[in-house]
Amino acid sequence: MTQRLLIKAAALLVLLSSVNAYSFCGFYVAKADATLFNNKSEIILVRDGTRTSITMSNDFKGDVRDFAMVVPVPVVLQEGDIKVVDRRIFETLDAYSSPRLVEYYDTNPCYQVVELDEANWSAQVTSTDAGVRMKYDMVETKFNVTIEAEYTVGEYDIALLSAKESTGLKNYLIQEGYKIPATAESVLEPYIKSNMKFFVVKVNLDNQKNSGFDYLRPIQINFDHPKFMLPIRLGMANSTGEQDMIVYAFTKTGRVECTNYRTVKVPTDRNIPLYTKDIFGEFYKNLFTRAYSREGKNAVMLEYAWNVTPSWGGMKCDPCVGNPPIYNDFAEAGVWWAGWNSASPVFFTRLHVRYSNAKFPADLTFQITPNTENFQARYILTHPAGGPFDCDESQDYLESLRSRRKVEVDELYALAGIKPNNRSDNYINEFVSFMINKPYDSMLKGEVIPGENSPMDPSEIEVDEAYIHSDMEANEAFLQNENPDKKNKPWEVPIFLGSIVGLALFVSRKRTKE
Amino acid sequence: MLLSFLRFFQSDARHFQIVSQTIFVCIGVVFLRWDYSFTAISLTFGTALSIQLIGIYLLKLPLHSIKSALITAFGLTLLFKSNEPMLYALAAAIAIGQKFIFKIRGQHLFNPANVGIIAVILFTNNAWISPAQWGNSTVIVFVIGTAGLAVLSRVKRMDTGLIFIATLFALEYYRTIVFLGWNWEVLLHKLSSGSIWLFALFMITDPMTIPTNRTVRIIWTMAVAFTSFYLTNYHFVTGAPLWALVCFTPLTPLLNKFFPSKTFNWIHSTQKQFNHDTKIAY
Repeated sequence: MTQRLLIKAAALLVLLSSVNAYSFCGFYVAKADATLFNNKSEIILVRDGTRTSITMSNDFKGDVRDFAMVVPVPVVLQEGDIKVVDRRIFETLDAYSSPRLVEYYDTNPCYQVVELDEANWSAQVTSTDAGVRMKYDMVETKFNVTIEAEYTVGEYDIALLSAKESTGLKNYLIQEGYKIPATAESVLEPYIKSNMKFFVVKVNLDNQKNSGFDYLRPIQINFDHPKFMLPIRLGMANSTGEQDMIVYAFTKTGRVECTNYRTVKVPTDRNIPLYTKDIFGEFYKNLFTRAYSREGKNAVMLEYAWNVTPSWGGMKCDPCVGNPPIYNDFAEAGVWWAGWNSASPVFFTRLHVRYSNAKFPADLTFQITPNTENFQARYILTHPAGGPFDCDESQDYLESLRSRRKVEVDELYALAGIKPNNRSDNYINEFVSFMINKPYDSMLKGEVIPGENSPMDPSEIEVDEAYIHSDMEANEAFLQNENPDKKNKPWEVPIFLGSIVGLALFVSRKRTKE
Repeated sequence: MLLSFLRFFQSDARHFQIVSQTIFVCIGVVFLRWDYSFTAISLTFGTALSIQLIGIYLLKLPLHSIKSALITAFGLTLLFKSNEPMLYALAAAIAIGQKFIFKIRGQHLFNPANVGIIAVILFTNNAWISPAQWGNSTVIVFVIGTAGLAVLSRVKRMDTGLIFIATLFALEYYRTIVFLGWNWEVLLHKLSSGSIWLFALFMITDPMTIPTNRTVRIIWTMAVAFTSFYLTNYHFVTGAPLWALVCFTPLTPLLNKFFPSKTFNWIHSTQKQFNHDTKIAY
């Protein structure tokens, strides 16, 4: 059966819609009694040599007067090391690197026609605006806390503190009007002992009003230190549940990988039913839960890795779901080496971490690897050929289409725990009426209307929650379909190694006897 | 038939090591879904075994030394990563080839897999190691631990593996809990890394590159553990144990000269153990 592929990039853009409050490595220290719920954060992590730039997104939804954040940093930052950037950079990077759907079209087995269509995307340009005020002050307080520096950057008042012990720091923050989680003290201590400073941020209400933004913009910090880590433990001080963090990492050489938790790829290149298009957000959300549960809930998930060097003309994604980042975007994201006249490579890694107190007992540490292998989370929809199905080949085609669709429905369950229902039965049997020999199992189902494809409503799906939250290996169908491309068959490794070992031992045994 | 196979299997501790390493690679590829390339694995084994065979032919070495090359190839498969399949061949060539070149009074200067990995990382900028690839699973530590102890009890190098772990534990305990004030989970997380156990029980314990005198060996092991702890925590080096080991193995021939003891021999050492076991059994 010939199956020609046709491409059209379909946008997607999943954003785990239920998660919209903000948090980062730091914990919230509310000034009022507002109940703050933190669930998702986004970080841009740029690293070359020992120089690091971290941009923390700011999706804070409450009253800005309540916003405050404490982040441990390895050195005292200078005013020039702190910047406020446009929030759109996160949207650009997210849109570009998020998991994607791709659509292929079968050609009619009776006529073989190939058609190519490309998605067209309008440009987005971001701009920078960082109003900067400076005020430097150093105060030794009775709390044994040193205010190493104080700045006003954009709409933020920033202080850099160093402390001798955690009780003093906690008391100082309380005196300054921050609401500190009860468990914070024990978490602050290790950072103080490892000689880290504290980057404390509040909103400067006047500047915030004057800035004209009705939201808080991301803060970007730059420093030079061999430590390459993200301090997530502090953010767990006031959280019991799971938090999502998306890290957009940029390096010159290759992928960023975690050195104290496994870095695992999310499942990719899998065929799923056409109707998943309407519920792609739900699908990916469940797929992620399933994938990270299967890895024991303590792995860092890789969602995207690609060479995105702006001066390099090669393909940067397949298909692209957003504009590739351009020079402005790199400047905004803190990728200092990606200037107009620079040929230095830029490698983009997107990591998705869902961490919880129990499963991530230590801060994340990273390394830059020379691994430049591309990766994207990609899910494939395949449209059937249009009729008429009047030649002999079409009967074979319809049969293979039907079995393919069965596999797609199995995949949907295996990947995201979405249970088969009436719609999936209809989907499998959509073209049965054109088949001369009707399959036996299709007779048991009711009448199917060919081409019936009303948009699917997310409420229609039923998810097997127990399955997606478990770490068990999947059922038989899943194992069979694990690698549809069949590039890698893990079982060939044991067989190969077994034979080598057997042979070597056999040979050496004979000779040893002699 | 079965009995003679068992006798043969028991006659050399390397057999246990080879079987354990085969199991580890399979766990990694099948259950932990490591990226692997079949070409790279074939090149690693192909190169390691061919160079060893050349060595056997030219230097008239006993044929059973092919097992050591097999162990080295497994070591590389378990630790070494590169995008370029030929670099696997290069690592294997360096690992095995250096055994015939860097030799002092018949003793190796470097642990083969260790120096193969480090040399390629150092000179090509296209190779790396992933210390977190095993994750922090008690099941995996248990599997590695059991297999490791089974091998080490046969070559009487259990002390090295356990002292390495114990020294690291003591240092990390002091730093993580006593000094920094983290809770126990942080310490357990650090020390339940499969990579550390694999290193302690399957790499540093290679009897050919560690001092033969017991006291010296213990001090030497503690020095490796201390260096590795220092590089990890104060210089943020990834895969510090490998870097520490490559600095310390060249001292072994020197230490063996000043503190002599009986030279290690794979077959004799295991045979003695085997005879001892059978005596007890019957």
